[in-house]
Amino acid sequence: MSASTYTNVLGLAAAAVLLCAVVTLWRRSLGAIVRTLAVQGAALACVATVIGLHEHDVGLIVVGLLVLGAKAVVVPLLIGRVVRHDPNSRETDPLVNVPASLVAAGALTFLAFAATRSVTSLVPTTAGRLIPIGLAAMLVGFFALVTRRKAVSQIVGILLVDNGVALVAFLATAGVPLLVELGASLDVLLAVIVLRVLAIQMRSRLGSFDLDQLTELHD
Amino acid sequence: MTAGVLVVAGALLGLGGAIAGALLPKGWRVRAATALIWAACGCEAAAAIHVLAIDRPIVLRSTELLPFTGVTLVLNSLGAFFVLLVVMVAVPATLYGIGYASHGLDTRTAACVFPLFVTTLLLVPTAGSVATFMALWELMALTSLLLVLVDHSASEASRSAGTWYAVLTHVGAATILVAFLILAAHSGGQTFAAIAVHARHLASGVRALVFMLALVGFGSKAGAVPFHVWLPKAHPEAPSPVSALMSGAMVALGVYGIVLVGDDLLGGGPVWWWLVVLVLGGASALFGSLHAASSTDLKRLLAYSTTDNIGLVLLAVGAAGLYDATRHPLLAALSLVSALVLLFNHAAFKGALFLSAGSVQVATGSRDLDRLGGLLRRMPQTGALFLVAAAAISALPPLNGFIGEWLLFQSLLHGAVIGSTAADIAIPLAVAALALTAGLTVVAFVKAVGIGFLGRPRSESADEATEVPRTMRLAVGLLVAVCVVLGVAPTLIFPAVERAVKTALPGLGTRILAHGVDLQVVGLRGMLAPAALAGSLAGAVVGIMVLRRALSRQPTPRVVEAWGCGRQLQTARMQYTATSFAEPVQRVFDDVLRPVQDLDVTHVAESRYVIESVTFANTVDDAIERSLYTPVIRAVRRWGQVARRLQPGSVHRYLAYGLGALVILLVAVAVMG
Repeated sequence: MSASTYTNVLGLAAAAVLLCAVVTLWRRSLGAIVRTLAVQGAALACVATVIGLHEHDVGLIVVGLLVLGAKAVVVPLLIGRVVRHDPNSRETDPLVNVPASLVAAGALTFLAFAATRSVTSLVPTTAGRLIPIGLAAMLVGFFALVTRRKAVSQIVGILLVDNGVALVAFLATAGVPLLVELGASLDVLLAVIVLRVLAIQMRSRLGSFDLDQLTELHD
Repeated sequence: MTAGVLVVAGALLGLGGAIAGALLPKGWRVRAATALIWAACGCEAAAAIHVLAIDRPIVLRSTELLPFTGVTLVLNSLGAFFVLLVVMVAVPATLYGIGYASHGLDTRTAACVFPLFVTTLLLVPTAGSVATFMALWELMALTSLLLVLVDHSASEASRSAGTWYAVLTHVGAATILVAFLILAAHSGGQTFAAIAVHARHLASGVRALVFMLALVGFGSKAGAVPFHVWLPKAHPEAPSPVSALMSGAMVALGVYGIVLVGDDLLGGGPVWWWLVVLVLGGASALFGSLHAASSTDLKRLLAYSTTDNIGLVLLAVGAAGLYDATRHPLLAALSLVSALVLLFNHAAFKGALFLSAGSVQVATGSRDLDRLGGLLRRMPQTGALFLVAAAAISALPPLNGFIGEWLLFQSLLHGAVIGSTAADIAIPLAVAALALTAGLTVVAFVKAVGIGFLGRPRSESADEATEVPRTMRLAVGLLVAVCVVLGVAPTLIFPAVERAVKTALPGLGTRILAHGVDLQVVGLRGMLAPAALAGSLAGAVVGIMVLRRALSRQPTPRVVEAWGCGRQLQTARMQYTATSFAEPVQRVFDDVLRPVQDLDVTHVAESRYVIESVTFANTVDDAIERSLYTPVIRAVRRWGQVARRLQPGSVHRYLAYGLGALVILLVAVAVMG
């Protein structure tokens, strides 16, 4: 792989991760949000694999394939089943409306670039320059957690945060050891399963995925 | 080396007692735990006596037990004296616990925690480093807290007492920890030996800060005013053997801490430190004895009397520091001797009193003096033992309380030599406080005996009271025997006391007290012959009895009720009650006690000139608690309400807090980087 192709593909994939995060803020249909998450997983896997190919690191390529399996296929399938319980469920009334959310996402991205100047100057590689994108994706995910009402959007938000962290890890260290990545992926998988059960329980008890209902648990 | 093995064996046996209490079935656990605790007490007592005999400390170190700091145990003569004191209370208290077990001490928790509590009491005086001391001190606080809560875990009073005790003991532990950390930071080591070398050369401000922090911390454990508020709440709620140990032994360890920091580690200080101790002691003695005189709950009375006695001990400790600071080593040593003797005596008679109060509660189901009465006839042995212990705490010769107060009076009365103005004012005031306290203590215990044990029973349950099991009487008897023996032959413990005092105040070459049958203060004019005193008292009693018999040869006329002086019926309600007995005292000290009186008159519906019923209630709550603690509690509660607004229960709000913090952090990085 030539240097320019490597730079282009890596930049494209990283940008796709951020773009997917922003798209989850834009879309209202829960089904579409879950599909966007799958695309983001695939982009993340692409980042790992490309770095692995470039560094001739077989471990990283395996990690990339694992990420593809877990985050682009298995996890979206699991969440998709929750959505199927209520196919018409939409993120109708987020705490911050969609245009304002998009502006906030832009501000957060700006903040991520401003805050990581010193980090990017420390790692002057192609991958290193892309670190702010990972941080931005994470912040956008966090923002989704804070402003979206539905339980499914919350699960997706957590996964966005996780994907952002993973992207920073791939870009900054040229890949974490296989074992660590395996552990992190399993954790995420487990968290998704637990959250899925919780969300379904919530729906059967409270009649909706709306998180605001939980305020009633407060005495 | 063999003595070191004894210390470790004692600790292990104590832990074994806790494990036995936790694992064995109900019928066995209390007896097995008690046997193991006795073995532990035996080991520790043997080690302590060995240390006192050779007058050289035992030093043990282990780096494996506590991470980073290791465990250092140093048993010196001062610690050994306190170990003996704990053993003296712990053996009867655990013996009593066997008979008392069915009243809350035979649950798995209690049977496990009680031995652990005794073990920590035994080990605290052997701690030789900050980490070891704090670990044992906190374990002692936690186990005693659990034991306060174990008896009536469902009652509101018990929960409230537990909260008060927990808060005060942890505030105390925090200040002690800060004091020790300051010392350790300036000494480059956390063993007491290293601290003692360096602490003498610290800046005077730092030394004063350390001493005041330690005084607050240990004062709250000792129950000195104004940190005493937990005592009258926790003692009535704790099971009686636990009360006896807490009041006799744990409170004494608070004084041990003050002596340890003030004399052993800091090596004495300026006059004003000890004036503060003196003032605290005087205030505690007066406040405690006043409240004891006006309490109607037997165990509450005993708890306030603990504050009173600790006040006397602090008077002695303060006087010792004062004399030491003004270079009067002999008087300093005498004062410290009187402090230790007072503590030892207090442990003996207060242990006996708390245990007999427990017996009364077991027999009648009540601690309220206004519901007791006539118990001396129904429980003759418990009553007699209570009477002797009450005489001892009232400092009547020939019992041990008299010896301690005599020594304290000796040291204070000889204090006219000092020559510092503040001290010249403080010492006579201390004498006055001591005299008033002694009088009020007598009032309190005349009330306890007179209302509780004499007269007619004031309730059915008091009327139907029967004597408690033999082990419980034996336990009280052991402690009362200590009171009598130390009253007649106080010189028995003086070698140990002298060694302990010389550890705390080094550089004292001569003897403080002449040994022998009589008590003589070396270098001062003060002499007491307790054995002769006891002998002459006994002789006088026998003489009076013989004389009476000799004089009353002719048959005495029988006294019969002719008209009964107009008393057609004599009911228990005609007697003095505890409240009415205390009324004169309460009236004199109205400004300090501030009693709350409620008079509720109900009229008959037809006419307001005819009264249907009159209710009178007189409660004396703690003025210090009301004016010092209530405002603090109210402020804390108000801030708590404000803080609760941060938590509306919305998940989004909680997440937003996280995102907000993260964004602020990143902005800060962006601006500064």
